[in-house]
This record gives sequence, C-alpha cells and structure tokens, in this order.
Amino acid sequence: MKDERSTTQNTIDQPSRRWDVKGRILGIPISLVVIWAALFVTASAIPALPVPGMGGVITINAIMTAISGVVLGPAAAVANMAGGIISMLLFPFGAFLGPLSFLTVTVGGLVSGLLLANRWKLAGVVELLVVATWFVNPDSWQTLMWIVPLPYTAVTLLVIFFPPLRHWARKQILSLDRVRIWPAMFLYVTVAHSAEFLTTNAMVNWMYDLSWQYWVPTWLYWVSVDTVIIVISTIIGVGVLTGLHRARLPHATEIYR
Amino acid sequence: MATSAFIPANTFLHRLDARSKLIALLTILAIAMILDHPVYILGLLGIVLFSWLAARLPLNFLGNIFKYFSGIALLIFCIQLFFYPGEIYLLHLSRPIPLIGFSGYISLEGVLYGLALILRLIVILTIAPLLVMTTPLSELMLALVKFKIPYRFAFILTTAMSLLPSIQNRAELIQQAQLCRGVADFEQGNLILRLRASASLLIPLILGAFRDSQTLEVAISSRAFGAPVQRTYLLETHLRPVDYSLIMASGLLLLFSLWIRWG
Repeated sequence: MKDERSTTQNTIDQPSRRWDVKGRILGIPISLVVIWAALFVTASAIPALPVPGMGGVITINAIMTAISGVVLGPAAAVANMAGGIISMLLFPFGAFLGPLSFLTVTVGGLVSGLLLANRWKLAGVVELLVVATWFVNPDSWQTLMWIVPLPYTAVTLLVIFFPPLRHWARKQILSLDRVRIWPAMFLYVTVAHSAEFLTTNAMVNWMYDLSWQYWVPTWLYWVSVDTVIIVISTIIGVGVLTGLHRARLPHATEIYR
Repeated sequence: MATSAFIPANTFLHRLDARSKLIALLTILAIAMILDHPVYILGLLGIVLFSWLAARLPLNFLGNIFKYFSGIALLIFCIQLFFYPGEIYLLHLSRPIPLIGFSGYISLEGVLYGLALILRLIVILTIAPLLVMTTPLSELMLALVKFKIPYRFAFILTTAMSLLPSIQNRAELIQQAQLCRGVADFEQGNLILRLRASASLLIPLILGAFRDSQTLEVAISSRAFGAPVQRTYLLETHLRPVDYSLIMASGLLLLFSLWIRWG
C-alpha cells in the first residue's frame, strides 16, 4: 500500500510526457517523414525525363523536392535531407556535388515549408543566404551573371517579402480552393525549386568555377528546364494535396490550417 | 534497386572504423576545395586511387565514373583554357574577341587551373563511392549515431532504408497498372507523354505510401517512440589505434594544405 502511494505521488510530481509530441518532427508525424525519405530515394531510381535536343535530364527528385514543402511543411527539410543522404549512400556514382549533394534538396524543402508554416522571416533569411552565397562568389559579378538566378529567384523573393501575395498564396493552399490552388501551388513550387537550383548553382560555381562563358549562353536552356519542372510539379502537387485531403490523410496543410 | 553499394572484402580499408573513414572523407573533400594547383590535387587523387586499389574495389566503376563525367570535365577545362585571365602566354590563337571574353591567347595559368578543376572533380566523384563501397550501411548509420546526430534523424535514415524495397515494389506495381490501362508509357513517347507518365506514377505512389504510413505511425507509437531510455546497440564499434592514426593524419594533412594555400 505504501509503495502504491509513493508511486502515485511520483507520477503527479513529474511533468506529463507527451508521446505524440515526441513522435513528431516540426509538427509532422515522424512516420510521414520516414515515408517521404523512402519515396525520395525511390524517385532517385526512377528513370529521368530527357530534355529533347539538349542532352539534359529532368529528375523525378526535382519534382519531389518542389512539392515537399507543401506536403510536409518545414519537416520537408529533414525528410529531403534523409532522402538525399540515403540516395548518396546507395547511388554514390552520380553525385556531381559529392557528399554535399543533399544540401540542395534540404534548402528547397526548407524555404517552401517555412513559408507554408507562416515563418516567412526565417524563409526569407534562408533564401537571402542562398542568394548571398551566389553573389559573394566573384564569378557572379562577371558579364550578365546577374540574370542566372533572376527569373525564379525574383518570383521567390516577391512571394516571401510581398505580404498580399504571400497571404493570398498561403490561404489558397490551406483552403484547397479548386481553382486558385493552381497559381498558388505554382508559386510555392517555384519557391522550393528556385531555392534548390540556386543552391546547386552556387555550389557548382564555388567548386568548379564556371564563368559567365558557361552560364550566360546556357541561361535560356536552364530557364526552360526549370519551367518544365515547375509546371509538372504544380500538376503533381495539386493532385497529391487534393488526394491527401480527400483521403483524410495527415499532411502539413491540415496542421497549419 | 540496389539496397547497398558495399562490396565485402577483408582489406585494411574495410577494417577501419566508419567514423575515422567519414572524417578522412570530409578532410579530403575540404582539401580538394582548398588547394587549387594541379600538382597538389594530383597527390590527393593519388591517395584516393591508392586506397581504391588497396581496398580491391573494381576498377570498372572508376572507368564508368570517368566516362559519365568526361563531358562536363571537358567543358570545365575548356572554359579555363580559353577564358582564364593568365599572364604567361603559351599559344596565340587569334585576335582578342571581347564579346566572349577571349584574349586570343591560351595561358599557362589557364591550363593549370583547368587541370586542377578536373582533378578536383575526379576526387569529389571518387571519394564518396570509396567510403560507401568499403563500409556496410549498418556501420555507417552507427557512425552517424556515434557522432551524436539526433536519434530521431538516425531513426528516419534506418527506417526509410528498410522501407525501400516495399516502396520500390509499389512503384513497379503502379507502373505496370498504368501501362495496362494505357494511361502512360514510361519508356517511350515524347516529353509531354513522359511527364504525364511521371504524374500518373507519383500521385498514386505518394498517396498509397502515406496511407501505409498510418500503420507505421501506430507501430511507432505503440513502442513508445521518444521515451527517455538509455539506448543500447546490437552492433558496437570501437576506435582502434589505427583509426586514431588516420584521424590524426587527416588533421595534419588539412593543416598542411591550409599552410600551402594561405601560409
């Protein structure tokens, strides 16, 4: 009897344990983060889409990264990082950026995820850091190099720092408006993809010192590739988000609504 | 899909602790970024290739890496060859063409810097496979845990890897189902058709996997995930004197390269 009383007393004195919080990462159940990381790795093995006549490829990974923030919120950064690390461990032969390849997809998911979680100041800081990483490199001050990150980074900065656009896009994503979700998804996917590709470009520039003679002539090519990725990611993003909502499966918009 | 790139063997490199190999990998990566003279990076590449041979790893992997990235390596070299603003001229090609930033000369500095960047590319491309092919994934994961990365992140890595075969099977089933319905052709067709195919694969794949995640969630919760317990590990590794030696050698090499560059 004495032992039982003391046990009860201890239970009352201790702070309550919240297992549900322990099992979550930035509000998202850890099981979803695990599943996304596994999906990300699987997407790395799915044959890439060629860009006709240009010898480039569009990877399914790029689509996963672009929509990750809308599906998982800021936890997308963790899921993408895990997926990127596992991809590097399983397929180490195509890692152009070496063991640091996972950084690009992490940043992509982080910026759009923070934006969805209404942490726009933090998203802005990360995006500005990425932009600074590009412009701190002396090569970025060569002829016309400023146009390389321009189109989609400009849209990203506008979405983050222009309150009416930011509020409108977030509202449409959270309310899943049947028509307006399309342009809003386009903006969110643009934010994620532009953060990813600008991180990649900055890392490539620091590692391999590609000058304007490479970047400027290929600018149109990369803009067209990015456009295709963003459009396809928008279509898939709307499909996934609508499907998750209809199936009443947990995802970030349910949490941040 | 491959679930591991590890190639079993009983060599010096295979026997090293994953932590010391990870530290050596990061050090070599940092040195490759710090140094910008081809002779030094060639020395670094020599160390990497010697390790590759010592670990008895297949050389055809190296050949495939070089073949796959030869195009981008050539591009990197040509850019430095023609556009690097050097002072010691080797070859006069034409009059200056300001529009493309070409001085008309090929300089010694441009050749050396171009070679240095190609060698840097090769070091970066070969160093990660060297680690992954000589270390079992379980030991790599344990090394990350021993480096005090958050347990939850280590859990995500290991659980995601164990789920890969089932997700891959699901992806193949969806591909087959969509092919049967005539909705998509994943192998042929123009760009638009292939993009449509990727949408018809990804959407059901993600939704199905998210539905399965609820079972995983129940399993995680029922095992009281996150409970404050003292964790033990099935696999235990210990740093041996040879591992400490490798870590010290990596540190000294890093200091030496910093001295070469800025000393």
